[in-house]
Amino acid sequence: MTKTALIIIIFLAAIAAGILVGPAPLESQILQLRIWRVVLGVFAGGVLAFCGCLLQGLFGNPLVEPYTLGSASGAALGASVGILIFGAINPALAFLGSLGVGFFVYVVARIEGGILRDRLILAGVVMSFLCSSLVMIIMVMGGRELYEVLYLLMGYLGTIIDATNRTMIIALIVVSLVLAALLYRFHRELDIISQGTETAASLGINIQRFSLILFFSSALLVGMTVSIVGAIGFVGLIVPHVSRLLFGPKHRFNLAASFILGATFLLFADMLSRTITVYELPVGVVTSLVGVPFFIYLYRK
Amino acid sequence: MTALETKEICFSYDARRVIDNVSLAVESKEFLGIIGPNGAGKSTLLRLMCGILEPESGHVALFGQSLAGQTPRLIAQQVAFVPQETHFALNFTVEDIVLMGRYPYQRPFGRDKAEDIEATDQAINAAGIVDLRKRPVNSLSSGERQRVVLARAIAQTPRILLLDEPTSHLDLLHQYRIMELLSNLNARGLTVAVVHHDLNLASLYCRRLVVMHHGKVHCQGTPGQLLTEKILNEVYGTEVRIIRHPDKDVPQVFLHTEGQHEDRQ
Repeated sequence: MTKTALIIIIFLAAIAAGILVGPAPLESQILQLRIWRVVLGVFAGGVLAFCGCLLQGLFGNPLVEPYTLGSASGAALGASVGILIFGAINPALAFLGSLGVGFFVYVVARIEGGILRDRLILAGVVMSFLCSSLVMIIMVMGGRELYEVLYLLMGYLGTIIDATNRTMIIALIVVSLVLAALLYRFHRELDIISQGTETAASLGINIQRFSLILFFSSALLVGMTVSIVGAIGFVGLIVPHVSRLLFGPKHRFNLAASFILGATFLLFADMLSRTITVYELPVGVVTSLVGVPFFIYLYRK
Repeated sequence: MTALETKEICFSYDARRVIDNVSLAVESKEFLGIIGPNGAGKSTLLRLMCGILEPESGHVALFGQSLAGQTPRLIAQQVAFVPQETHFALNFTVEDIVLMGRYPYQRPFGRDKAEDIEATDQAINAAGIVDLRKRPVNSLSSGERQRVVLARAIAQTPRILLLDEPTSHLDLLHQYRIMELLSNLNARGLTVAVVHHDLNLASLYCRRLVVMHHGKVHCQGTPGQLLTEKILNEVYGTEVRIIRHPDKDVPQVFLHTEGQHEDRQ
């Protein structure tokens, strides 16, 4: 109980810090920008860590994360194409990229009568590489837009939100949160599946259907996230581990804790990205820079 | 009454047929042993019997109802399956694992009900793992882990328990404990079907045996009828010697060794 209280207090502190800390004075316009940043940070950090927890549980593999299954890279590819064509991030294209790659991975892993779960991971990793190469080509072709693609690849919470995109972004956030809440019902199935698919099947879980629901739902969630804030790495991989270290293996706690810890982590990382240099660093750079030493410390302790 | 029945079922992995037209009935409240050499299709048969695998042709009936028409959850309320070995990717405590046996009775978003907790406690008692219940499962020995998995299956409150080589890799004491536990459960009315590699344990505990060979049922009957030098030689391709168990009047199987004369010199 005290641990729960502690992570909630830290989470609230991160929100307050995200709004109050920064080089510019607190005027109403700055305040508004920072509040949006915090909203995006909570949303992106929470959803990515939640998906990481979901996928690590589903595949019983601690190295799986949204990137492993190709959906994040697919979203980044779609968004890069959008930058090349329209000169700005286009959520619809990012979204399409995520689902398109997800579907391709699914087709590769499909066999008569179902999917091969191991092949799903392998196909996802391979597709991630393919997407990265294509993004590189776009960067070379783009020239002037290179800078924007770079930020997209490393993640950026400072997306300007105005009348043109506000409704859509709010809609994406609401849909994501509702979907995540619905997926939370699978915490028991995720606990059981850690003992192997045969055991899960013998306890009455339809493994094929369950795997597909989770795979496509997380592709959807990741697509929506990347389309707004870019491909922020590391959060989805590491936060579920931290959550398990703190709260043990039960997904009833871990899914919720991953969301809160992921949001907290990304808020602090974003705050650092805005303050440690005179330039604003992509937040994905900071998540890795700060996250790796912290993670090593936690595991060595 | 017939508890579980396979009717002319076939199953292949890729193009290799591993179950070839098997019709087999497991009677209610019996203690059945399924034996046979490696690759005979024993484990596959067990998985077909509880719906983990679906037959290519033929069907499996559970108390007269075809498995194909039932949800996995409904099947899991009646049949529990204990695999040969369980890998625990996450380090749950023993009582968490046993409680997962209640999954077929639980609703999404629902809490663990009093009856779930009660069934878990009873299963932990029955399996004799009360002193282990708070322990993380990966800190246990393989014999202890096997009893945890068995407790999970008991918590499932099934009418039929299927086990795939539950005593392989276990030492004598743990073999004995597992088999005695199964024997007790069977005496209280649970139907038990066990795939066994250990012919002597099968002979001691199972009242009826089925011999699988090349994906077919080779023969079935009591241990006394089946564990003969002739049948075992046919199926395993090895020469054996049979003697009676000193305490119980059942056959026990020994290998015939070529090197015995040299040893005496």
